[in-house]
Amino acid sequence: MATTLGWIILALPLLGCLALALFPRHGEPPKGPVIAIGVGSILIAFVLSAVVFASMLAEDPSERLHVDSLYEWIDIGGVSVDLAIRIDTLSMMMMLIITGVGFLIHLYSVEYMDHDRDYRRFFAEMNFFVFSMLLLVMAENFVFLIVGWGFVGIASYLLIGYYYQQADAVRSAKKAFVMNVIGDVGMVLAAFLLVRELGTLDYSEVFARAGELGPESGTALAVCLLLFVGAAAKSGQMPLHSWLPDAMTGPTPVSALIHAATMVTAGVYLIVRCYTLFDLSSLAGDTVAVVGMVTLFLAATVALMQVDIKRVLAWSTVSQIGYMVMAAGLGLYASAMFHLMTHAFFKATLFLAAGAVIHALGGEQSLDRMGGLRRHLRVAYFAMGAGCLAIAGFPGFSGFFSKDEILAYSLAAGTLGTIGYVVGTVAALLTAIYMFRLLFRAFFGPDPDGGYAHAPHPSRWWMAVPLSILAVLAVVGGWIQVPFGWHLIDDWLAPALVGAPEISPSHTQEVVSLIIGSIVAVAGIAIAWYLFGADRERRLRLAGVAAGPRRVLEDGYELDEIYDEALIGTTRDLGDALTRDFEPKGAGGIISAPVAIVRGSARVLRAAESGLVRTYAFALIAGVGAAGIVIVLAVVR
Amino acid sequence: MTGVPLAFYIGLSAAMFLIGMLGVMIRRNPLLLLLAVELMLNSANVALVGFSRHWDDSAGQIFALVVMVVAAAEVVIGLGLVVATFRQRIELDVDQLSTLKG
Repeated sequence: MATTLGWIILALPLLGCLALALFPRHGEPPKGPVIAIGVGSILIAFVLSAVVFASMLAEDPSERLHVDSLYEWIDIGGVSVDLAIRIDTLSMMMMLIITGVGFLIHLYSVEYMDHDRDYRRFFAEMNFFVFSMLLLVMAENFVFLIVGWGFVGIASYLLIGYYYQQADAVRSAKKAFVMNVIGDVGMVLAAFLLVRELGTLDYSEVFARAGELGPESGTALAVCLLLFVGAAAKSGQMPLHSWLPDAMTGPTPVSALIHAATMVTAGVYLIVRCYTLFDLSSLAGDTVAVVGMVTLFLAATVALMQVDIKRVLAWSTVSQIGYMVMAAGLGLYASAMFHLMTHAFFKATLFLAAGAVIHALGGEQSLDRMGGLRRHLRVAYFAMGAGCLAIAGFPGFSGFFSKDEILAYSLAAGTLGTIGYVVGTVAALLTAIYMFRLLFRAFFGPDPDGGYAHAPHPSRWWMAVPLSILAVLAVVGGWIQVPFGWHLIDDWLAPALVGAPEISPSHTQEVVSLIIGSIVAVAGIAIAWYLFGADRERRLRLAGVAAGPRRVLEDGYELDEIYDEALIGTTRDLGDALTRDFEPKGAGGIISAPVAIVRGSARVLRAAESGLVRTYAFALIAGVGAAGIVIVLAVVR
Repeated sequence: MTGVPLAFYIGLSAAMFLIGMLGVMIRRNPLLLLLAVELMLNSANVALVGFSRHWDDSAGQIFALVVMVVAAAEVVIGLGLVVATFRQRIELDVDQLSTLKG
């Protein structure tokens, strides 16, 4: 039954997308049906996911794995690929997050997108995204994983470029697409390697026979690193992260759903899903962990300097996914998934609260033109506050438990883990500072100079209700897994992570990590209050200090400029040189030589074609005569 | 072997062929051109029949009949072209009819 419902869950958003996209053929339909189809399809999918979840809860843990094949899609050369879904505890968790958070964000969008012309296009594309993301997590083989992977890429491209009249939105969309394709290439190559080595792409068989690749073998390393190229591109890990901050040109609900809560965490899901492969190669795991560490630290420093409210959140997303990737690289798969879940809650809350601010201010996104919003937007203020406390890891809030779990477990994961703990703790301090900088600058203090051009108006219930629900989840979501208490996430994921290395910290490590984590969070908030909250002039007085390094941070270490110079510039120069020097002489010469030969010989031969019958007759007779003379001479001799 | 000697046949055939050949090369009216071509074909027939009698083999006579059939077919096409050209009020002069010049 679980798989039947699974197919329905997968089909609903697709049907919603098709219905919205195809009917009516012309003109904009009334908003009522669009809302009913667009939001309803996701609501039903969520309810059905909850039903499947309940039925799985009733099962024995060892039986929580359902695979169903609809039909055989390809059978070539011994490799067969089925259109099949897999519902195990890992994909179940992802389905609940995708449909649950997805539904709340769809509901929020009803009001947020109210002023936009292309209402149904928005919901059609959002439904398509949910379908693609479900396909990605429910696939039973690498082929449909890659199909879903590509689909979420195109959905992300469409929604980043939603405001296609704006040049920078189109540019960002292209950038995101190109960088994601780099990742797709890595994934496809990994799949090819698996086919060559194991002759199958089904998860069950690949993971059961992964040992044939050989522990610490070059093949296992290559497969893992290629998969990680895909994961890094999708999850905004350095050096493939720079599309994610630019992706903020899309509407805010899109940023919340795709570029914070679900799609960008697909890379983490992929690593956890393929843990069997990553366990084969410790070098691959270490690489993943180091990339995660670098990303989480650098992104946190960049987030400190951003002025655009959404870019602060985008860089914070890059940083938080860095935590998950580091955890996955260290082998802390359940901790990574736990942080993925709480991150989905609090980052969606933060984005939706930011969206409420942007909506209330008529599109204003700069922190420089915000202030004192606490008095105008109560719901957004409380939600933002809850989200900030959660992401900063304030004791008792969701991020506290999940981030602490990653850090405490890192301590037990060898030398690299200890380095990860230090980097992660410093970045946690930065996280608290940059998030509360945002909160204090936008919501505290006086109104900005000259007041608001667009008087802030509080949101209606369409936006307020989902925001409040997510804020509550951001506060309490962490209590699902409490140190020294209960480990519901670990227990739930255990059947999907059979054979993963058991890493657990000692009591001392756990306690030390909890205490340091609490101190860091409180200290970060206090520093932010000192710099940005208590005395608003202090920030301006400090503005002249270290202006150069600050500008580098504002530009995200100027990586975009480096890419422009190194990759785009070089390619363009090469193309120019080929056009100028090679194409006219080289390629042109090869083509024009035969042309000249044919032309020249034709010019000579055409003289024979006079069109005069008598000339032809004469030539004929002369020819026959000549031939006759030759024969006669030959016979005579 | 009685009757006309072979040399007479060959002589007549050669004369007819030369007359036809000169006609083809000199005449500019397509109608006369066709006549000249017919003359050449029939010179070949005379030679065939002559050889047929000389060797006492009927194959040559059958060849002559086949040549006549081919000649008839050729004349039908040639005269058709001449009539078609004439109805277009184009001058009947093979030197002027040179549209197919390369």
